[in-house]
Amino acid sequence: MSQLTRLRSCLPAAVLGLLLLLLGCDRPTGNGTSGANPPGPATSPGQVTTIGVAFESLMTEFWVAAFDKLKADCAARGITMLEAVADGDTARQFDQVKNFLNRGVDGVIIVPKDGKTVIPMIKACNAAGVPVVLYNRPADPTDARHTAVAPDNVAITKETVTYLVSLARKTGRKQKAMILMGDLSDVNAIGRRDGFEAAIQEAGDAVEVVSRVPTDWNQEKALAGLQSSLQAHPDIGLIFASSDFMFPSIKSVLSSLGRWKKHNEPGHVIVGGFDGDATAYQLLADGYVDATGVQDVYWEAEQALQVILDAKAGKAVPARIDDKGFAITQSNLKELEPRMWGAVVAKKK
Amino acid sequence: MSARPRHWIQSLLDSAPAALFAVVLIVFGLWSDRFLTVANLTQILNQSAATAIVATGMTFVLLTAGVDLSVGAVMFVGAGLAGKMALAGQPLALCLCVMAGVGLLIGALNALLITRLKLVAFIATLATLYIGRGTGRWITQTRAINLPDAFLALGSARWLGVPLPLWIAGLVILSAHLVLSNTPFGRQIYALGNNPEAARKAGLRTHQLLAAVYVICGFCAGLGGILALAQLGAVSPKFGELYEFDAITAAVLGGTSLFGGRGRVFPGTVLGAVLLKSIFNGLVIVQADPYLYPLITSGIVFLAVLLDSARQWIRAGS
Repeated sequence: MSQLTRLRSCLPAAVLGLLLLLLGCDRPTGNGTSGANPPGPATSPGQVTTIGVAFESLMTEFWVAAFDKLKADCAARGITMLEAVADGDTARQFDQVKNFLNRGVDGVIIVPKDGKTVIPMIKACNAAGVPVVLYNRPADPTDARHTAVAPDNVAITKETVTYLVSLARKTGRKQKAMILMGDLSDVNAIGRRDGFEAAIQEAGDAVEVVSRVPTDWNQEKALAGLQSSLQAHPDIGLIFASSDFMFPSIKSVLSSLGRWKKHNEPGHVIVGGFDGDATAYQLLADGYVDATGVQDVYWEAEQALQVILDAKAGKAVPARIDDKGFAITQSNLKELEPRMWGAVVAKKK
Repeated sequence: MSARPRHWIQSLLDSAPAALFAVVLIVFGLWSDRFLTVANLTQILNQSAATAIVATGMTFVLLTAGVDLSVGAVMFVGAGLAGKMALAGQPLALCLCVMAGVGLLIGALNALLITRLKLVAFIATLATLYIGRGTGRWITQTRAINLPDAFLALGSARWLGVPLPLWIAGLVILSAHLVLSNTPFGRQIYALGNNPEAARKAGLRTHQLLAAVYVICGFCAGLGGILALAQLGAVSPKFGELYEFDAITAAVLGGTSLFGGRGRVFPGTVLGAVLLKSIFNGLVIVQADPYLYPLITSGIVFLAVLLDSARQWIRAGS
C-alpha cells in the first residue's frame, strides 16, 4: 500500500476519533467571556473567578434546571463557569475534575453518579486545595473534606407517601401498593425507597406492598414493570414513582386499562412521585396525580455556589446542607405552587 | 473429538435457546399462577415487539459479522424529532414517517462509513451512536416531551383482538424471515458472513450487500422506535438507551453468531427477544429481590456469548 493510500484509509478514523474526543470534552461558559479563553488564576486570595461544574448527566428536567440555575448565578456574580457532563461515565468525570484543577479553578461543584466513585475526585480537590461541593448526591462516609448539598430523600418521600397512605385509608379498604424504584446504585434512589418503606411500615394495615420494581431510571423499564405488576395484581390502588419522570409510563399503562382517572373520579388510582418537575405540576393541576415530593433545585444551587464563595473567603463551611423539601399535594397545591420549581418551568414553557 | 459426539453437542447448543425459554416458562409458571396466563403471555409478546423488530435488523448486520451500536440512538433522534413535530401540530402519519426516515438516513450513514470510508463497523456505529445521542439531546434540550394522546392510542390499538404492535412486529419478522431464507439476497448475506473473501471472489457485490444490511438495520430501529414511543407516549433523554445491547443479546440468544454467517430471525431472534422480556416480567410477577435483576440480566448476556463461543468452537473443530 502506498503512503498516500495508507494516509487516506487512516484519515476518516482520525477525524472520527477526534470528534469523539471533542464530544467528551468540557466547555466553558459564563460571564459573557469567550469560551475559548482559558481562565487565569484568582486575582486575589479569597476571590472566586472560575469554578468547574461537573454533572454526571443532564438526563432529566431536574438536572437541566439545576445546571441553568448555576450558570445564571455564576453569570450574575461575574464568575466563569467551566461545564462538563460525563454521560454517566465516572472515569470521564474524574478526568473532567482533574482537568478543572489543572486549569486553576477556585472551586468545583460535582453531581456524581454515585457516592463511592466520587471520593477520589474529592481527594483530588483536597490535594489541590480547592473547595468541592457535591450537588444533590452525597458521598459515602469518607474523611475527604467536602460539602454535600442534598435533599433529605428519606424525609421528603416519607412525608409524600404518608399523604398517599392517608388517601388509601379514606377508601375504607386495604389498598395494594407498589413502588417504581430508581437505580439501586444511586443514593437518592435508595433514600427514596427507604422513605417509602418507612411510611409503609407506619401505615400498619392500611396498605400492602405487592411489587417493588427496579427501573434504573429508565421509563421503558418502568412501563414494562408497571404492566407486569398490574397483570399480577390488577387491583393495585397506590403507585409511588421514585422520580416524576416516570409519570408518562404510569399514564400510558393506566390509560390503556381505563384507570387513568382524576382524584375526584371513581376508580382513581392513587399516584405519587418525587422531584416536583413540570410534568408533575401539570398532572397535579389536572388532578391525575395526588402528591409529589419536591426538592428545591434553585435553593440547592444557591447553597452550592455560596459554599464555594465562603470556603474561598476562609469561612467555615458545613459538611452537609440538607434541602428539607416538602410534599406538594392536592390539598396544598395552591399554597405551595410558587415554591415548586416544576411549576416555574411549566409556566415558562 | 469424534464426529458423532460433536454433532450431538452442536445440536444441543443449537437448541439451547429454546430449552432456556422452556425452562424460564416452566420455572416462572410453577412459581406464580399469574405468569402462564393468556393475558400475561400476550403482554410479554406486546412488550417484546419493539425489541424484536430492532433485533431483526441487528440480525441482518450480525449475519455479515458486523455490528450496529447506533440503533438506540436512531430511536432517540427519530422520537425527538417526531415529538417536536407532534407538539407543533404536525399529523401523526408524518411524524411516524420521519421516524422511519431517520432510521434509513442513519443506516445509510453507517453504510457509507463502513463501505466507502472502510471504517470498522464497531467504530463507525459507535461514532453514530454518540452523534445520534448528542443530536437527540440537542433536539429535545434534554427535556421530557409528553406526546399527544394519539400516540398512546396507536400503541394500545387492537385489530381482530390482537394488539397493533404485534401485527407490525409480525409483518416485519415475516418479511425478514422470507427475505433471508427465500431470496438470493438473503443467501448472499449468509455467504458474505461465512467468508467475505470467497463471496467477493464469487462475484457478489459485497459493498452493496453490506450497505443494504446497515440500511435495513437503521430502518428496523426507526420502526422499533415508533412502537416503543407509541407504547410510552413520551420522549425522555434516555429513550432507546441500551437498546443495542438488548437487540444483540436477543439475536445471539436466538442462535445468531457474532462471527457471522449463522442465524435466523424466526424463530431464533424472536425467541431471544421474547425470552429477555419474559425474564423481566417473571421477576416482577414473583416479586424477586430488586438486587437480583441486574445479576440475572448480566447472567443472560454472559450465557448468550458463551453459547455463541461454544458453537463457534465446535464448528471450528469440525
